[in-house]
Amino acid sequence: MKITLTVNGKKYQRDASENKNLLHFLREDLGLTGTKEGCGAGECGACTVIMNGKTVNSCLVLAVEADGAEIMTIEGEAKNGKLSKLQVAFKKNHAVQCGFCTPGMIMSTRALLEANPKPTVEQIKQAIEGNFCRCTGYQQIIEAVQDASGQLKKKEGLKRA
Amino acid sequence: MLQNFSYQAPETLKDLYALLNKSNGKAAMLAGGTDLLVSMHNNWISPESLIDIKKIPDLKGVTFNPKTGLSIGATTVCIELINNKDVNKHYPLLVEAAHHVASPQVRSRATIAGNLCTASPCADMGCSLLALGASVELGSADGVRVIPLKDFFTGPKKTQIKKHEVLLRIIVPAEMAGAKFGMRKLKRIKGHDIAVVSVAMARTAKVMRVGVGSAAPTPVVTADLAASTTLEKAIAAAEKVICPIDDVRAGAEYRRFMVKEFVAQIYSELF
Repeated sequence: MKITLTVNGKKYQRDASENKNLLHFLREDLGLTGTKEGCGAGECGACTVIMNGKTVNSCLVLAVEADGAEIMTIEGEAKNGKLSKLQVAFKKNHAVQCGFCTPGMIMSTRALLEANPKPTVEQIKQAIEGNFCRCTGYQQIIEAVQDASGQLKKKEGLKRA
Repeated sequence: MLQNFSYQAPETLKDLYALLNKSNGKAAMLAGGTDLLVSMHNNWISPESLIDIKKIPDLKGVTFNPKTGLSIGATTVCIELINNKDVNKHYPLLVEAAHHVASPQVRSRATIAGNLCTASPCADMGCSLLALGASVELGSADGVRVIPLKDFFTGPKKTQIKKHEVLLRIIVPAEMAGAKFGMRKLKRIKGHDIAVVSVAMARTAKVMRVGVGSAAPTPVVTADLAASTTLEKAIAAAEKVICPIDDVRAGAEYRRFMVKEFVAQIYSELF
């Protein structure tokens, strides 16, 4: 089925197989491999993208359902080779270890900050409840989001880059 | 890639009914897809066709009428319910219940009707809508029928929907608007998890009901209790409708204990 969708501000028209999900469509048909596949069943959040302003698990959306949609993926974060403020905060606060969950984490926290520029710790936790990270223990991710929203208090004895 | 299937997205109920009659039970309704696509991903089911119902205007939207109550269209997603002013004002129990559903990513796709049609014993919307005495409207080419939600579930993953029918909307009675309420969902972790047990209670000047999830083959509800029912009687009524099992999440005994505990906790909030 022919579909038209906008991904990171760029319009694409493609023929999409009915049985292909949005995640595989982004990775295989558009070559946007930043979005990862973890469980394929809506549990882990690695495939999180923003669809029409709301985060979704792209493994649970058919490509044909995204016809006419506006999609934001991790590739839309950095502009002209420069990392976004949120990405810088993730880097600076060691919110990335293996990096597999990071694209999904960034999309979930991006959507949070768009809706709520000064989220509380509780609100940050709620925003990433659908994103698994098996490395960091989440604390650094929470701090990264606090940092990106200008709310991180400086820690004593920890040298920050 | 998922298994092969054909995809159709009818724009009117008439077209939907025609497709349903043609498919003879081999089609699956696609709304949020957060359960359907998982079942297909795991090869638990393999429908020949998916009928996407999101383009049908009659199935959209949430409306409140002080005389007829709340109507939740079949394609209403959790986030829509959470953000709806009327629901927040008159049926805040549903806002709390919708918050309990999975994760933000799932809440922005998953529909309330889908949560019911999946008919999981642990459906978060199940126990809350049961406590509010909701009913469901089912439609087909032959017409429309309304059945109480308490009769809708017939077993795990089984409902009264016939193969040529579709759930059109959920109706929550007007007399439950402004009801006092409370809900508890016991999970293994604080975040995204399904219920070990869940209890939702609603009380108006006339009636009290206790809805329970994950403690029977379907979400269950007590009979309509008097608004002045004592705690002991409310607990006894809840115990009468549950029949928990031992499984990977908890033992039957623990579930039974926690249902009673939650009824006691919520009861104190209803007066």
